[in-house]
Amino acid sequence: MRPKTKRRIINTIRYIFTILILVVFLFPAYWITITAFKPSSEWNQWPPHFWPYHPTLSNFFGGNSVSSIEGILPFLRNSLVVSTAVAVIAAVIALLAAYSIARFKTGGMGLAGWIISMRMLPPVTIVIPLYVIYAKVNLLNTWTGLILIYLVPAIALGVWILITFINQIPKELDEAAKIDGASNLQTFTHIILPLSLSGFAAVMVLTFIQTWSEFLLATILTSNSAAQTLPVYLGRFITGYNIAWGALSAAGLITMLPVIVFGIIFQRYLIRGLTFGAVKY
Amino acid sequence: MSKSSRKIAILFILPVIIFYLVMAIYPFVSMVYESFTNLNLTMPHSGQFIGLSNYFAIFQDPLALSSIDFSAMVVYIAVPVEMVLGLVFAYLIRGLKGERVFRTLFLIPMMIPGIVFGIAAQMIFNYLFGAANYFLSFLGIQPIAWLGQASTAQFVIIFLDVLQWTPFVFLIIYAGLLSVPQDLIDAAKVDGANGWQAFLHVEFPTLKPLIYVALIIRIIDALKIFGKIYMTTWGGPGTATSSWSFYIYKVGVSYGWDIGYASALAVILLIVSTILVNILIKFLNLGEQLGISKET
Amino acid sequence: MGKYRFLLLVVSMIAVMAVAALAVTTISVVVSPDNGPSIQYLAQQFMQQNPDIKVDVTIISWETLYPRLLADLTSKTGIYDAFTWDVMTAGAMHSGCLDLTQYFKDHPDIIPAGYDMNDLLPLAYKLGTWNGDLIGLPYYNNTMLFYYRKDLFNNPTYQQQFYQMFGRPLRVPTTWAEAVDVARFFTQAYNPKSPTRYGIALMFPTTHTMFYMFPLFFGPYRTSTNGIREFGPVNFDYGTYFTSDGKPAFANQYGLMALEDMKALMPYAPDPLGSDYGQTIEYFAQGMVAMCPQWTNPYLQFASSPALQPASEKIGIAPMPGVSVAGNWALGVNKYISPEKQAAAVKFILFCTTKESGMAVLKKFAIAPVRESILDSPEAQAAIPWVSALPSIYQTEAFRPRIPQEPQLESITDVYFSKMLSGAIPMTIQSLQSLADQWNKVLAGGQ
Repeated sequence: MRPKTKRRIINTIRYIFTILILVVFLFPAYWITITAFKPSSEWNQWPPHFWPYHPTLSNFFGGNSVSSIEGILPFLRNSLVVSTAVAVIAAVIALLAAYSIARFKTGGMGLAGWIISMRMLPPVTIVIPLYVIYAKVNLLNTWTGLILIYLVPAIALGVWILITFINQIPKELDEAAKIDGASNLQTFTHIILPLSLSGFAAVMVLTFIQTWSEFLLATILTSNSAAQTLPVYLGRFITGYNIAWGALSAAGLITMLPVIVFGIIFQRYLIRGLTFGAVKY
Repeated sequence: MSKSSRKIAILFILPVIIFYLVMAIYPFVSMVYESFTNLNLTMPHSGQFIGLSNYFAIFQDPLALSSIDFSAMVVYIAVPVEMVLGLVFAYLIRGLKGERVFRTLFLIPMMIPGIVFGIAAQMIFNYLFGAANYFLSFLGIQPIAWLGQASTAQFVIIFLDVLQWTPFVFLIIYAGLLSVPQDLIDAAKVDGANGWQAFLHVEFPTLKPLIYVALIIRIIDALKIFGKIYMTTWGGPGTATSSWSFYIYKVGVSYGWDIGYASALAVILLIVSTILVNILIKFLNLGEQLGISKET
Repeated sequence: MGKYRFLLLVVSMIAVMAVAALAVTTISVVVSPDNGPSIQYLAQQFMQQNPDIKVDVTIISWETLYPRLLADLTSKTGIYDAFTWDVMTAGAMHSGCLDLTQYFKDHPDIIPAGYDMNDLLPLAYKLGTWNGDLIGLPYYNNTMLFYYRKDLFNNPTYQQQFYQMFGRPLRVPTTWAEAVDVARFFTQAYNPKSPTRYGIALMFPTTHTMFYMFPLFFGPYRTSTNGIREFGPVNFDYGTYFTSDGKPAFANQYGLMALEDMKALMPYAPDPLGSDYGQTIEYFAQGMVAMCPQWTNPYLQFASSPALQPASEKIGIAPMPGVSVAGNWALGVNKYISPEKQAAAVKFILFCTTKESGMAVLKKFAIAPVRESILDSPEAQAAIPWVSALPSIYQTEAFRPRIPQEPQLESITDVYFSKMLSGAIPMTIQSLQSLADQWNKVLAGGQ
């Protein structure tokens, strides 16, 4: 077989497998999206409807709080506020700490290792003592309470990522600045800060995505629409009672969409962050 | 180090240290202490010190012991599948026309909250109306009670985990592939290496650290699996899909706030996670990678 | 000059609004999804009549509601002002609930004229008490009913076929043993001529649902003559699972027989171990099963389902073949909130349980009534078909335990029953005994 034909056949096979894999992986998201636009008569049918035959917006507007998502706005607001705040604050604190560790080896491997291990902390292990503590200091059902606990894994990841980013900034630049008479602080603000901006952005993007999806801590530490986030809103109907699948899917769609769009737009930063800056993408 | 350098170094590290002392150390110490008590929020006068009773109880608790099974199952089934599939997909689309589109589409599942996967799974794996059984009917297979049988319920949860996290592994490996300059590969080919040898000697060394990172992060995160279980099987049938994290939730939060016992369970989970993290740090030679310590 | 006057106007308007906002008391009410729409409806009505009180209703699913509420009440944080609580959690929650008996004594004029406390059904009222004190006004007198496809049971063709297959007439089953044959008849895998795919929709998932399904089967044994002789009458706080002096009553052949009755029906149900509320309601509403034990308010979803039209011909309602189980909800008020909020919250729960409110939510949301006057009224009976069946069902229904350890008992039991029904552990009296041992450990106050 001529090599060109062989290559064409291989590529066709590759395309087929790629499409197959993508279909499987995106199927849940697809199902949620179409169900959000299905009227109640189509939610459960045999054979299943792979497309809404009578698309409707009734799951989004109208109806009561169980049959539509009319109450969702406060939860959307809470998710936006909390995720954005965590992303920004984590990136700032992490940048400062990363500079200190990367350039001055503060605390050595012990400190760095301890901070990084905070990323791995299973939330279920601290949620219970945290509930008791928050109850005492009135942080239950507050944005502040959620932001504080979400910062724990976020800062840890941020420190890890930013250390590697800062390490890629040549030390010669620092020295050149020093020779020109810059203080340490000026070295930081004029050399390090501008050059680590893409790392900063990477930390913000990753943190935003992870915070948005968090469910366990949000469910336990919040009580009503004042502070509850979108995943908690979704979790209202897991068991018991007849489930309005259309409304639930509509809520799921609203929960998925912002972070998917955000992630796709900023995917360059996502990749840089996930590979710890090792990959110049 | 000069005095002013030291000042800045300490000043910049201070926010992190103070933050973690308050937010992580304090609850952690609380939790360890409570694991030695019989604190139960529903029993007003509980909270007395009972030593290691909770820990002994764990070994006699059949429900706790069966939760270990599923947690382990996620680690030794889901994680390898994710690693292999991520690698495969990276190579599958590399160099294909439309590569960017495929890559962007494959990113999507990673950004979907576990809870949303759970909702989709409840619909797709429904016995009478679900798409899964519909596809099976084309293959001539009888409908399966996905969520009502232990083995299939476990499959569903693992399947969801694979869907959600393979893109994560893929992204890391794919980015690594991109960073290998094409001329290195070409040079190796010129020297007579075939495709497989080029992979082994040129690409794999770059990929190795990335694969390790992905592997260990996935293993540790796999222990935390929660949202998908909560939203589909609630740990059932029986304890088939009750991970250790989920069991802690059931005991400590969901059914009566038995904080003492749940804390003991949590301490054990923490010990396991910490051991794994330390392995991570050693294995990756993280100290050297971060430029903090020199390899001896 | 005009500029300053305008500014002054704006500032004074803001000041007025701020003062007005301060004068409004806001109460936070948390409810389960069963009660969600009806309470939200009543909240709207209430706010129209009481413009100085704002009611904010949060809906949380059963599995999350109960522990959140419990945590709030026991740690005295006072986040929720009023709430619907499942009466079986009475023992666990009573310490945080406002003692309404005392409150009504101290503030007699808060009870609206015409409220008529005596109209509240004694059983529903009693379920809202703990140790003699009223800690919740009864709101939803929920119980389980046996829904079935009246049109199929009345169909002469199926009646004939059933007689040929089983040698007796096709009737709505009155015992679970009878139900097995009927379920088999309506399952296509066993009877290709069946009009429905499966005979019965059962929910045996590993959630709190399992805990209330078991009494449907165990109840008849527990309250039989033999059962009463062996275990004593059913104690009101301990319920059907226990003997009258508080020991587990199921680790014996009666418990085993109940499980066997459940298992016998499982082949004729779609995915019983993986189906909960939401799934079984859909199965019946879409015409996939012929019978469905369910609570009272799914009736509305059945009645509006296209596959079950006309509802009066297709939806039959009968008492449960075994016994039903009580699933009452009450409205309580948090003890640890300010007196103003308490007053507003008490006013609200009183509003929700008046005759008018009861009739309105019965008609709009199928909330089973807690008042005798509504049960007896022809208006109610005409509105929802099961109203007339309720009084006799209330006589024999089973009860879940109301003691403080109930949540822990339930958590262990769901898992054990699921494992026994699926065969993961043997379905024997020994297994039931090891479950009872776990119960005794919890009851003794330690793990």
